[in-house]
Amino acid sequence: MTAVVAFRAERPAFLWLLEREVLRFLNIWRYSIIGPVLSTVLFVIVFGNALGRHVDPVDGVTYGRFIVPGLFAQAMVNVGFFNGTTSLFEARRDRYINDVFASPLRWWEVNAALVGGGIVRAVIVGASTLAFALPLTGGSSIARPGVLVFGTLGLLVVVAQVGVIAGSLAKSLDHVYSMESIVLLPLGFVGGVFYSVSTLPHAWDVLSRFDPVFWLVQVERIGFLGQGDTSPAAALLVVWALAALLSAWSAWIFATGRLKP
Amino acid sequence: MSAWRASALSVRGLTKTYADGFTAVSGLDLEIPDGAFFGLLGPNGAGKTTLIGSVCSIVRPTTGGLSVFGHDYRTREARSLIGLAEQDINVDRFLSVRQMLIYHGGYHGMSRQAARARADEVLDLFRLSHKADARAYELSGGMQRRLVLARALLHQPRLLILDEPTAGVDVELRAEIWRLMKGLNAAGTTILLTTHYLEEAETLCDEIALLRAGEIVARGTSSSLRARYGARDIGELYERAMAS
Repeated sequence: MTAVVAFRAERPAFLWLLEREVLRFLNIWRYSIIGPVLSTVLFVIVFGNALGRHVDPVDGVTYGRFIVPGLFAQAMVNVGFFNGTTSLFEARRDRYINDVFASPLRWWEVNAALVGGGIVRAVIVGASTLAFALPLTGGSSIARPGVLVFGTLGLLVVVAQVGVIAGSLAKSLDHVYSMESIVLLPLGFVGGVFYSVSTLPHAWDVLSRFDPVFWLVQVERIGFLGQGDTSPAAALLVVWALAALLSAWSAWIFATGRLKP
Repeated sequence: MSAWRASALSVRGLTKTYADGFTAVSGLDLEIPDGAFFGLLGPNGAGKTTLIGSVCSIVRPTTGGLSVFGHDYRTREARSLIGLAEQDINVDRFLSVRQMLIYHGGYHGMSRQAARARADEVLDLFRLSHKADARAYELSGGMQRRLVLARALLHQPRLLILDEPTAGVDVELRAEIWRLMKGLNAAGTTILLTTHYLEEAETLCDEIALLRAGEIVARGTSSSLRARYGARDIGELYERAMAS
């Protein structure tokens, strides 16, 4: 009988796929990195600096400083989501994903590499945004470092997993791009990026809490400014519950072979 | 250790019913010996691509078992032993030709150094070295076909699955692919070939199976099948087997 020889990788296949995911967006860096950083920094300049001078401070914080955490969250949400969506959709459309499925890569490694790619891109865009936005708004202090670190980690998992799930469900390019403009953008705008939801009528305040982006913004705002529209514990709990739920959904798609070219 | 060698591919009772209710393959049994050059013929929709997809973990079978050189097809061991060149040109548009080959080697567990060296080897073998830095979509159709074959061979699989590798290629490239396939088989690689070119199967394959509506209707050497169906040539054999 043929001897059973266990598969042994000289370098983990997962690392190769993760590297490929990073290389994919670095190859299109003008679109994948520069574009999102530039547009977010422009928001900071226009809304935070130019218009912000005419807006009253929010809870004792200048308007420019107030919107930076939300814009930081929004930038990471956009690129983290879009990275997973486009990468997976294109791999399915071009049937290149078959080369990955036919290889010794395990389903959870494929999932983790796709999520990892989205996280790396979101971190690069987020960090670059902060590098410009914080000096522009004169606020580089971090009020709650623990909330910021754990909150940002949760946010990264949430947005990268949502991107991968959307990429696995999308059936056309129209689906991919419409998810950004019809779902992501409105959720961002009503998620409290530019305002405190406590200033809204009570019904809108309550409704805002059903928007996942609201919680992603809150962990960043509490982390940077030490205050938000909710408690730090509640914000972290909701973000990590979302991360766990989405990770389980994504794992189910990959593990049960529901991901189709 | 006993003297017998595990089959290159063993398929037992494979059935695949898609979500829309269409059964592409029904209770299929197939055994391909180690070292064989095996041809799979059948019309479009006969279940060839579903069978190949099942073997390569691209399609999830509804029921049945598959093993590759004695390993369950789902294991990493089995998948590391298979090389697949699909009918479609399914290439990574974000990577250069050379990068695509290197990363393919990586997915099969190769070190960076080994993957680079092997990529250069197959680029040379398939006369693609001058296009190593180009993107796959910049290549001609024939070059893209060569690239897909190069990728399938990169990790030196023991079972090479070729889904219509000569479809739409010119006479010169077809002859080149034939020579390559013969050489690989002579060196010990088991080859499973699907093709619509009957003369191709007859020329290259030791054994042929005819697939119709997800079931194997005939199997044997070309000469034994011709004798069984009283056919003068493989074209007649194909028609009679499909009509029976």
